[in-house]
Amino acid sequence: MKLIPSTLMLSLSLFAAFAGAAELRVLTHSSFAVSKPLLAEFEKQNGVKLSIVKAGDAGEMVNKLILTRAQPIADVVYGVDNTLIGKAQSAGVLEAAGKEKADPALPGAVSVDYGYVALNIDKAWFAKNKLPLPKTLDDLTRPAYKDLLVVENPATSSPGLAFLLATIQSQGEDKAFAFWGKLRANGVKVAKGWTEAYYTDFSRNGGSRPIVVSYATSPAAEVFYSKEKLNESPTANLLLPGSVFRQVEGAALVKGGKEPELARKFIEFLRSEAVQKDIPTSMWMYPVREGVALDPVYKFAEKPSSHATPDSKRIADKSAQWVGRWTRVVLKSAQ
Amino acid sequence: MNKRVLLAALPLAFLIVFSLAPLARLLAEGRGAVSAGLLSDAYLQWRIGWSFLQAALTCLLCLLIGLPIAWSFARFDFFGKPWLWRLLMLPFVMPTLVAAMGVLALFGPQGVFGLNLQDTPVLLLYGNLFFNLPLMIRAVGEGLERLPPSRLLAARTLGASPWRVFWRVEWPALRPWAGSACCLIFLYCFSGFGLALLLGGQRYATVEVEIYQLVAYELNLADAGALALLMLAATGALMLLYAWLERRMAAPMKVERAVAQAPAGWRQRALLLASLALLLVFAGLPLLAVAARALAALGRLDWAVVWQEDTRLALWNTCRFTLAATALATALGILQGVAAKGSLGLRAAAFLPLLVSPVCVAFGLLLLYPALTASLGLLLAAYALLAWPFVARNLTQALESLPVSLPAAARTLGASPWRAFWRVSWPLALPALRRGAAFAAATALGEFAVTLFLSRPEWLTLTTLVYQRLGRPGQENADLAVVLSGVLMMLSLLAFCVIEWPGSRQDRRKPC
Repeated sequence: MKLIPSTLMLSLSLFAAFAGAAELRVLTHSSFAVSKPLLAEFEKQNGVKLSIVKAGDAGEMVNKLILTRAQPIADVVYGVDNTLIGKAQSAGVLEAAGKEKADPALPGAVSVDYGYVALNIDKAWFAKNKLPLPKTLDDLTRPAYKDLLVVENPATSSPGLAFLLATIQSQGEDKAFAFWGKLRANGVKVAKGWTEAYYTDFSRNGGSRPIVVSYATSPAAEVFYSKEKLNESPTANLLLPGSVFRQVEGAALVKGGKEPELARKFIEFLRSEAVQKDIPTSMWMYPVREGVALDPVYKFAEKPSSHATPDSKRIADKSAQWVGRWTRVVLKSAQ
Repeated sequence: MNKRVLLAALPLAFLIVFSLAPLARLLAEGRGAVSAGLLSDAYLQWRIGWSFLQAALTCLLCLLIGLPIAWSFARFDFFGKPWLWRLLMLPFVMPTLVAAMGVLALFGPQGVFGLNLQDTPVLLLYGNLFFNLPLMIRAVGEGLERLPPSRLLAARTLGASPWRVFWRVEWPALRPWAGSACCLIFLYCFSGFGLALLLGGQRYATVEVEIYQLVAYELNLADAGALALLMLAATGALMLLYAWLERRMAAPMKVERAVAQAPAGWRQRALLLASLALLLVFAGLPLLAVAARALAALGRLDWAVVWQEDTRLALWNTCRFTLAATALATALGILQGVAAKGSLGLRAAAFLPLLVSPVCVAFGLLLLYPALTASLGLLLAAYALLAWPFVARNLTQALESLPVSLPAAARTLGASPWRAFWRVSWPLALPALRRGAAFAAATALGEFAVTLFLSRPEWLTLTTLVYQRLGRPGQENADLAVVLSGVLMMLSLLAFCVIEWPGSRQDRRKPC
């Protein structure tokens, strides 16, 4: 049975040899979206062929990287964030690409962009039902807000995990899980991932829940992706104290990967002005580079002034345990 | 026997390289201590129980609802029948999320019927029916068409009521076809996790979801491997049992084409109407909901947004990938289907690609062939793997229901075994093969396991583009996703017509 893979491998390597130009293998999560002309420009300037490989959600991507560490499937990875960097580091699959100053930084990698996981509301629903907005996280456990919230499962979704982490950071572990117990009793709905929550449960898109765990830039994206440019976003951030998580995404070299020089250049490229300017309206994250002007549509995205984000070391140590506990409290006791 | 081994060698090698070896590799990676309390966890027990229960319930419902519909399709001629027959395949290609959005537009919190069934098992079963009813209807329809009308007429002449004819003549002949469809439906419901989660909520998640979570997010390969093996053993035993039953039930039949007639009398008309009404409720409504949404969305979108570079690329890739995967699946399916005639093991082997947990295969492939993971060949092989069971099953079944007397007569007249096969058995089995190929194409178009594999931007397909768009907020993204799903359905319809059209026209012109 070994014959078939080796023949395939041989033909592939022959193909690569004839193709000439060096190849840089870039592993990303499925939301990666840098515009094609920019990527083509990078290829031309460096005489390299970019081979971009999307490996699913960021959590899935890091696990694929860990599984294949003996024979790395990429040379450089983009999309590792502060919830995953610790895991990737302790598995020894990354190699830092040198220290670059940036705010916010991502220890162990080079930060490229950042954003906030935050609650979003459907404005029309609240106006129609004449319900005042909740003021604190605890309000969400009150009968007035029963069956109004949908969250993503932290075991299968990055924003879901981020929201759980924010509640733990702001309330402490025991209080946070008591809060989740009360949320469950108050009818919190759990969706598999962001897409499911936003497009089948959120009341703006045909669901029954007017509060959803999403991103602080989502209200701006709603305006950006509307045909007749709206004067007001149909959704808004609900920045309750202790509910916001700051996510920092970055890039790093893959240990054992080829072309380290080109990989470094690619990371530099991700932090170049052109790409950084592209990021806000393609991936809906804030650029880390200073002095990059944001698209005017960002006036519809209220930038959170504070956030509750545990440091990445603590996340790496504890998150598996926290997710397990969350599953027991929110899903299992529902039997 | 030797010939059989020769024929089956290629498909079996394919099966080992792309399905069993990856699974074994994943199991090897995860060897070690399985969590002690894994199976005593009440939550997991509930999931295992529920996975079996919902799959079995769906089979039962498909049988109950599918039988009268298939019967009406086979026996009655009515306006628009060939088109309905092809439309029937569309649920199969629809992206799960878009289908769920369609179903929720009907029976969700803001549904047009004012009846909110979200998060109930009812909606989950409805969704399962929507996706799987076509399998049952087409399989049973096929069986009915192959039943010689002379037998029915003989029974009627001997004084049997239509009901008695069904029960004593038609049903026994249909059992292998219905059983085969039940097996496929069971496996789909058992291992498909998209729809269950979307419509039923977390409470109705299946074991496959648990395996997915363990592998993709927790990297707990020991527990995932143990669960995957357990499920493989359970479903594998079921399939083997079924293959054995089927072989006992298979009965060669005379080759006579049944001729459909216009319904006569109020009873037949009522039956036809009732069947069509059932079809509308369980398969038509969600399709109509999606079509209506797609039309409304098209009105809201600029043409430039719809016809952008990404869309063109996705359209082109969908066409060529489907073509390649269908061709590969058909070739493998023919070899396997011919080889499996009369063999229990090979029959059961045709189900194997659907038995093995797709998550485990995807991650196993990554471990086994890291250098190939981002290659197009591997992706196409994965599509073909999930598509060939249809071709193989259909062909084996058609060959087995052929009377031995026909090729035997050819042999007596001096034809070589190969010639007898090529000139007699093959043409008679061709319509069944075509139908199998149509399902294979549908599987490739629908890209069931697409999100599990590595992908590259230049491989963008319609389904991946739909999911990409639904990964961002905003009306335009949602609109484009629904419009693209509509495009996917039109394209699929075209594909089914190309694959099946000439065959069925021939059938009708020459009823022997």
